[in-house]
Amino acid sequence: MSNVAMELQDVRKSIGKKEIIKGLTFSIYKGEVFGFIGPNGAGKTTTIRMMVGLMELSHGDVLILGNSIKHDFKNAIREVGAIVENPEMYPFMTGWQNLMHYARMIPGISKERVQEVIKLVGLEKPIKEKVGKYSLGMRQRLGIAQALLHSPSILILDEPTNGLDPAGIREIRQYIRRLAAEENVAVIISSHLLSEIELMCDRIGIIKNGELIATQTVQDTNTAETQDIIQVQMQVSPMNQAVDVLKTDHALEAKSEGETLLFQTEKEKIPEIVRSFVQNDIAIYQVNSSKSSLEDKFFDLIGENTIE
Amino acid sequence: MNNFFKLVYNELFKIYIRKSTWAMYIILAGIIIGVGFLSNIDELSSKQYSDDNWRETLEEENQELTKEMEEAEEDGIFYDMNSNIIAENNYYLENDIQPDGYGAMQFVLENQLLLSLVSLLTIIIAAGIVANEFRWGTIKLLLIRPITRTKALLSKYAAVILFAFFTLLFVLIFSYIIGLIFYGFGSFNPHMLVDDGNGLAYVSVISEIVPAYGFKLVNLVMMATFAFAISTIFRNSALAIGVAIFLMMAANPIMLYFSDRAWAKFILFANTDLSQYTAGSTPFMEGMTLGFSITVLIVYYLLFMALSWAFFTIRDIAGQ
Ligand SMILES: Nc1ncnc2c1ncn2[C@@H]1O[C@H](COP(=O)(O)OP(=O)(O)O)[C@@H](O)[C@H]1O
Ligand SMILES: [Mg+2]
Repeated sequence: MSNVAMELQDVRKSIGKKEIIKGLTFSIYKGEVFGFIGPNGAGKTTTIRMMVGLMELSHGDVLILGNSIKHDFKNAIREVGAIVENPEMYPFMTGWQNLMHYARMIPGISKERVQEVIKLVGLEKPIKEKVGKYSLGMRQRLGIAQALLHSPSILILDEPTNGLDPAGIREIRQYIRRLAAEENVAVIISSHLLSEIELMCDRIGIIKNGELIATQTVQDTNTAETQDIIQVQMQVSPMNQAVDVLKTDHALEAKSEGETLLFQTEKEKIPEIVRSFVQNDIAIYQVNSSKSSLEDKFFDLIGENTIE
Repeated sequence: MNNFFKLVYNELFKIYIRKSTWAMYIILAGIIIGVGFLSNIDELSSKQYSDDNWRETLEEENQELTKEMEEAEEDGIFYDMNSNIIAENNYYLENDIQPDGYGAMQFVLENQLLLSLVSLLTIIIAAGIVANEFRWGTIKLLLIRPITRTKALLSKYAAVILFAFFTLLFVLIFSYIIGLIFYGFGSFNPHMLVDDGNGLAYVSVISEIVPAYGFKLVNLVMMATFAFAISTIFRNSALAIGVAIFLMMAANPIMLYFSDRAWAKFILFANTDLSQYTAGSTPFMEGMTLGFSITVLIVYYLLFMALSWAFFTIRDIAGQ
């Protein structure tokens, strides 16, 4: 059995003449928490709407446990629980009535299961109250409860930390980690704030202007930090030769951005690299290094204007 | 199939859990009580012919009415009304039938006018049932279940029709109860006189109630389906309510305005009143038949349903 829970294959979306999503291809694995991160307007909600069949795909496909959302909607969506944008519920109904409403839409959900889910998200007390009186945090939890009713294999939460205080975020983090670990659920969480969800993710994908510009396992950066791997920026000339030297002599992949050469390595290796550049007649004008953290990488990738 | 019933149950639950729905029923009940109260004051309907000297009562009534007519102008409405009553009274006397007193059943028959209120309420529900889900943002959670959009839409439509049916039942039963309170039971199977085109005929009141309500149901279903379609296409309940109610009110002036055009018979409202084909009535236009009207109605109905379906199933759920 494959370990892939959801697979996006070159997913594109155009509205009018504008291409909002420009070919997303990635997979989410069972039992992993995947952070879908990007600034406002990057296309996170649009992508999620396509994942759950609310929007037609202009191109490509989304496979959920192998079932296409386009061609086999019912079997695909059966394995998905989701909140899309705000956790909107019927305000004139109680939490319990809202959950029973959704429970009736899928065969095989017992009252016991509904109670179990209520307990999981900690809404026992206000469950008989009208949702119109709920705080945002309570509605967020009711939204998660609604998404978990049918024990889905994939849980998709669009900005679940929006408007929550740190305690609320910590709480969500706890039961999301528990779901992934205990029930092998794949969780997709979107956010425009890396810091809010970094701690609950195994892996993050960064989206900007409808393109996935990087995916990164959170574990990687953690080990990177312990081994003192740093981000090095050098101003050198000629650039091409420098890239070649790094590749042949040090087995390092480097990028060039304008006049700056970018690569990652351990601190101890820097003198050695400088020496080899000198030996190859490469002029060095400047050497900078910084400790690489996920946050830095995120800012590097999408620029500073991430906050609304 | 079982699954479908649960969906319809959900939709009805969402209709009847709201206070605004109950407010509509309370207003409806208030109007029925008011009508019962007002017509109870009106002497004509409270007249009884139950005692043995009903013949004398009728004769006296005729004399009074004739005197009134002599004083009144030749062609006023009182003139017509009085001569109708005299004709009816004479029919009873000639055929030696004791008239049934005004009872609960007659009250129910008179309340058929309340059906336009049932139409109004049904239009409000039909206009909101899809659009509100968009307004509340709950449409997203509704459509990410293992249910096709077609099924979701049909369950909503079925709920609208059931709502109309329950409301109609409410009007019938509540009118009957109020009729009982104000006028009493009357006779077991009361009869009345109607003009069927070949003069007066003595018929059972129940046999009048069924077609009277039945014919109006056609209009109700068509207007509800129309409001449902507008609301599904534009995702806006206020617009759907406005357009549907405006058309319902303006139907007669519209038909009058276009009555000299040949194509006017294809307008929906030329065909919603099927009682135009019963004995004693003339169709809206020459050459129109019951079959023609039913065909036109079916075409409009399918058009409304097809448009609702197309817009609901094909369009993206975006921006809600
Ligand atoms: N219905 C729509 N019509 C046109 N453009 C849209 C529509 N919905 C979203 N967009 C555009 O698509 C882009 C992505 O939006 P969205 O997916 O909501 O971003 P995010 O959730 O990452 O903040 C934005 O530039 C937005 O303006
Ligand atoms: Mg968004």
